[in-house]
Amino acid sequence: MSKDTVSLPVARSWRDIPQRVKPRAMSSEGRRRLAAKLARSGAAVAAMAAVCWGAWQVFAAVRGDGRDLPAGAQGEPIREVRLETDGVLDQPWLVRTLGLPRVATLMGLDLGQLHDRVLAGGQVSSVAIIRHFPSTLTVRISERTPVARLLAQVGGGEPKPFLVARDGVVYQGQGYDQAMVGSLPWLDGVALARRGAGFAPIEGMETAADLLARAKLDAEPLYRTWRVISLARLQSDGEIEVRAVGGLKIVFGAQEDFDRQLGRLDLVLDAARARPDQPVREVNLSLGPQVPVSFERVAGSSYQ
Amino acid sequence: MNSGHTLIGAVEIGTSKIVALVGEYNGRELAIIGRGECPSQGVLKGTVVDFKAASDCTHSALEQAEREAGERMEYVYLAQTGGHLEGFYNEATVNVKAADNMIDRDDIRTVCELARAKELPAGRMVVRHLRRPFRVDGRLVPASPQNLVGQRIEVGYWTVHGLEQRLADHLHVIRGFNLQVRELVLSGLASGHMVTTAEERQHGVLAIDIGAGTTDFVLYRDGGPYVTGVLAAGGAHLTNDLSLGLRLTEDQAEKLKLRHGRALAQTRDKSEKVWLDGNYAIGDRPFPRVAIEQITAARTWELFDVVRRKLGPDYSPETCPGGVVLTGGTAKLPGIAECASRVFGVPAHLGEAPSWISENLRDPGYHTALGLLYYALSGQGESAAGKPRGGFLRGVTRLFAQT
Repeated sequence: MSKDTVSLPVARSWRDIPQRVKPRAMSSEGRRRLAAKLARSGAAVAAMAAVCWGAWQVFAAVRGDGRDLPAGAQGEPIREVRLETDGVLDQPWLVRTLGLPRVATLMGLDLGQLHDRVLAGGQVSSVAIIRHFPSTLTVRISERTPVARLLAQVGGGEPKPFLVARDGVVYQGQGYDQAMVGSLPWLDGVALARRGAGFAPIEGMETAADLLARAKLDAEPLYRTWRVISLARLQSDGEIEVRAVGGLKIVFGAQEDFDRQLGRLDLVLDAARARPDQPVREVNLSLGPQVPVSFERVAGSSYQ
Repeated sequence: MNSGHTLIGAVEIGTSKIVALVGEYNGRELAIIGRGECPSQGVLKGTVVDFKAASDCTHSALEQAEREAGERMEYVYLAQTGGHLEGFYNEATVNVKAADNMIDRDDIRTVCELARAKELPAGRMVVRHLRRPFRVDGRLVPASPQNLVGQRIEVGYWTVHGLEQRLADHLHVIRGFNLQVRELVLSGLASGHMVTTAEERQHGVLAIDIGAGTTDFVLYRDGGPYVTGVLAAGGAHLTNDLSLGLRLTEDQAEKLKLRHGRALAQTRDKSEKVWLDGNYAIGDRPFPRVAIEQITAARTWELFDVVRRKLGPDYSPETCPGGVVLTGGTAKLPGIAECASRVFGVPAHLGEAPSWISENLRDPGYHTALGLLYYALSGQGESAAGKPRGGFLRGVTRLFAQT
């Protein structure tokens, strides 16, 4: 007899009896057990779902796709915005700059966007924005210090004064003492290039800033007489030209020690004071120990 | 429950009482950690006749067992008995396919499927297929014949079947407690497995479980069950006959049976009387002892005689050297072993539980429930115990159940 050619009768087994029983046919204990079993199954499914969700979140975080992260639970509105700075900017400036809506919450903030807003003016060199739960936002900034000023024309209007920091960043500047700003020398001989809504940093400004800082520190009376500092020949000849009160022109060598040059300048000017009838017109400090000095022509001739 | 331990539940819905046991299997040994028992109601001759009453009793026993165990079961092994259970034998033979006559797995599967293939009357369902040993070219093979060489392989099955409605009622009583029935085990097989030894089963032994409403019997041969059967008669019939013969209520007859009943009449003095209660109160009256003994002895003899007739040619004293082992509540009747010995023509004795079973479970009335646990552990069930089914979700659910 072959199994392949014969259809075998199949007797039903007790296992074919469905074991499902309607809850109304159950005893009270049976119903309790059923409810407990359903609860356990529900808890198991919820636990599995939580594990899967957590795994997905970890995966998304590792992948760096922050856009997929939900904002999370919305907390209470921000009650305080705190400013910590090493400069002159104040709280109203911060509030204006951040422009937070009234109902903003800490978890609802786009910190990247706020970061860009704070840095946009140029006066702030670095910023850290910190959430302090439940409702305080702290903004910690580091400000640039101006070393010179310049006039620039934006959009065909009147020329506007700008400040220049040591790193060459050009910015409008807010909150500074006007006397301090008025004491800064004007910057000349630079070609400004537009970048976005502002200007590209000025090259070579660090060298000029070193000179100005050294002069301000070591020869403050001299520094106070400086009106214009020109970088026109910095790249080509390595010289920085300073024009002081009374038309005095001083040429500094960018490669040589500024302390020494300032010492020589002081010596020359001291010697020149002994001859008030022959005012000095130009002092060239870029040639090392030899310092050519030009005098004003008083009686149809000039001396060197 | 420690991880790695398996809970096994066993339930016997009997005519006189319902027993639930909880066993904890640690991979090496089984500890019985919970027991529940309830006088039976709504059960007649091993069949559920009042679903609500039977459910209440069964659930009470299950609750008691789980409370004692301190654990919750998920599934149970359920004993099945009842006069509706019947059996038949069917065998098949196939020629070995391979040219070198080596028997492979396909040959075995084919012959087994053929031997099991038998249509049943409408409304009846298979409870169990009991396989007898294989024969290869007429030679008995106690284990698997795979890789043996022969031309013909034959096998036979003793198939036990029952009425679908009665089986469903049993299952639904358990499901009403929100428990799964892992396996339906014949009561006779469970108790027989408990009271007989492997050696006895190998040589041939007849196990008879006399309950209150049914008598289950299993004839073992060649190490396994050869023939099984159920009589819809038991200790309650002895009580009933006493009640009719002596004009007593059921309770009074039961009392007399337990005190003075014997499976073999011993008293010769016809004038010897025994009192119903012995307190000489109103209603207390004397009965001739010889009448009580004659009634119980006649019915007991008749019970064994019916069993022997149902076994028919499958039984002979020569093929049953292990004798007769008696168990069940009615097996406590004095003289019953001697009675069985005379009817079957072989030695008979009362079955005993292993010595390490605690004293409160050594009564013959617990042999079926105990046997269920051991039957489950011995791997004779269609699914081996100790390997709970279920996938990951079931595992997590079990984890929550344990916390």
